[in-house]
Amino acid sequence: MSVTTRNSLLDRVWEPFRQQPGSRRALLLMAPLMVFEFFVFIAPFLMLLRISLSKQVRGLPYEAGTFTFEAYSEVLSSEFFHGLITYSFKLGIIATLLTVVLATFYAYAIWRSEGLTRTMLLFSVVLPLLTTLVIKTYAWVPLLAPRGTVNELLMAIGVLQSPIQLVPNTTGVIVGQVYIVFPYATLAVYSVLSTLDWEIVEAARDLGASRPRSFFEVVLPQAMPGVAVATVVSFAWSVGAYAAPGLLGAGSDRTFAIEVETQMLVGFNWPVATALSAIMLVLMFVSVVILYTALNSVGGDVSHGA
Amino acid sequence: MSKIELENLSKSFGDLQAVDDVSVSIRDGELLCLLGPSGCGKSTTMRMISGLETPTSGRVSIGGEDVTDKSAYERTTSMVFQNWALFPYKSVLENVAFGLKMRGEGKQERREHAREMLTRVHMDGYEDHNPTELSGGQKQRVALARSLAVDPDVLLLDEPLSNLDKRLREEMEIELKEIHEEFEKTFVHVTHNQDEAFTLADRIGIMNEGNLVQVGEPSEVYHNPKNRFIEEFLGDTNFVSGEVSAVDGDGAVVETDFGATIEFPLAADEDLSQGTTVTVSLRPEFMSLDAASATDGGQKTAARADGNGSNTVVGTIDTVLYRGSTIRYFVETNGESMFVERSVTEEGELDEGDAVQVSWPAEEILVFRPDGTRVET
Repeated sequence: MSVTTRNSLLDRVWEPFRQQPGSRRALLLMAPLMVFEFFVFIAPFLMLLRISLSKQVRGLPYEAGTFTFEAYSEVLSSEFFHGLITYSFKLGIIATLLTVVLATFYAYAIWRSEGLTRTMLLFSVVLPLLTTLVIKTYAWVPLLAPRGTVNELLMAIGVLQSPIQLVPNTTGVIVGQVYIVFPYATLAVYSVLSTLDWEIVEAARDLGASRPRSFFEVVLPQAMPGVAVATVVSFAWSVGAYAAPGLLGAGSDRTFAIEVETQMLVGFNWPVATALSAIMLVLMFVSVVILYTALNSVGGDVSHGA
Repeated sequence: MSKIELENLSKSFGDLQAVDDVSVSIRDGELLCLLGPSGCGKSTTMRMISGLETPTSGRVSIGGEDVTDKSAYERTTSMVFQNWALFPYKSVLENVAFGLKMRGEGKQERREHAREMLTRVHMDGYEDHNPTELSGGQKQRVALARSLAVDPDVLLLDEPLSNLDKRLREEMEIELKEIHEEFEKTFVHVTHNQDEAFTLADRIGIMNEGNLVQVGEPSEVYHNPKNRFIEEFLGDTNFVSGEVSAVDGDGAVVETDFGATIEFPLAADEDLSQGTTVTVSLRPEFMSLDAASATDGGQKTAARADGNGSNTVVGTIDTVLYRGSTIRYFVETNGESMFVERSVTEEGELDEGDAVQVSWPAEEILVFRPDGTRVET
């Protein structure tokens, strides 16, 4: 019981929770989030599912009140959609691999740095998060353009004779996508590394492990929970990439997200768009579960986090 | 051969001079304790032996070979860390086998080897446990087994006992000593605990502010501290200051502020001038304490009429402190407080408020100049 008025309001808010048993209390505390999730994710998703089971019709988004698996069979049987899904997964895998490797090294560098260097390294990871997605992605265009910074630099140091095309094409998409997810992946790995005791690395080296060996033997297994989170976040985001392929990709760089938009707004074909979304959601869910299980078996207990 | 030579070893971190020109030769098979207060550079010195720290200047050689430019994993040293640094995602057995794995020993062989080591440190049966499930003492044993398993030429121990409670620490001290005798390796043990150093060491190296102040056998360091810092660091003592009033061929006299006169012999070549202010250490364990009006059949010298005299002073017992096996008597004499330590077997002979006479043997007095250096007596 509080005696100060400052706490009494908090106490009153807390009062109904206090009397509940632990598990019920946790449920009550989660309730606002669950309500929110229901209205912004579950309910719309159920509506989406319903639309995906409707009949396609010219002139209207879909024909209400109908029930058919037509849209699903169209998506599942079409070469075009297969290509789209394959491309999305390829982009996801390549971008994830690059991101996780780069992010792990970068996080290691932050972990090992001190003082101002550490602040600068951390700040430069967070900095891109302060800009909107479209602007920071589009900023790559002048950098990667045929007469852009990267080409000029490579030609100036003699690596290239003539400019190469970096954008708009798949290279540009991968660069952009890695750039978008890199901060999240880095922070995920760093958050785990920062709890790690440097002494265990010293102990490994003292016992005869070389620098790379000590990293793989004692740092990586312990950083695995962070690496797993980084992988899942990068993968989920990259498979569903929209901004990077849209802004930095060529016409052939079509992820399913871009196709969904086209089907919805240009083709006015909501059943196909929603069916594609639903199929991708299932595929993503399955791959994330497989990924998580695999990573879990490699390094320690992922579910226990840091 | 695993003699260690440190030559003019220095290490600075930015503006901080952590280790300043340390030179010492550690004998093959010796157990050397580096003793000093925290921040004195003892751990840094040890880390330079292990290769985990690169010296700013100076050389390190092990077994006659200059290893200054070799990294930690190339050196034949092995370190037991203060917080044990066990690998949390590996089992106890995998921890102990780690060094052997790095060395390329086969799986069967290294597991066998690791098991033997665990048995040696009485940790058999814990092979499949995770280190996080172990108590401090058990972690300590596993860390020790892990370091010993690679059969190092030199075992480095960085305050490995400081996180253990007193009883466990004393147990481990004895065990460490046994292991040292059994394995016949050179051990370098870093500690800030005087008792630990005196129990374990063949020789003690005392460090202060980056300097190695004195290296010697425990009794040598105890009886002949090189300067005032060591005398102060090694144990509680009474420091009294006074002025040298007389110096003759073989002795000197110091007049103290609280009335006592301290007389002590002077080494032949020692140069001490009259009028110098000196600090005298009167060790509580060498001082005797008698009731001022002692009528003990003439066995003890009765107090003189004025009480004070050469190497003796009268006072009143202010406080009696029981410290287990010893009792500490704080005696108030002319505004100066000093303490005397007696065995608990003498309990009850004297009490608070009693008038007493405190005296000390002239040969156990340590005298220091104002700059802290010792006056040879």
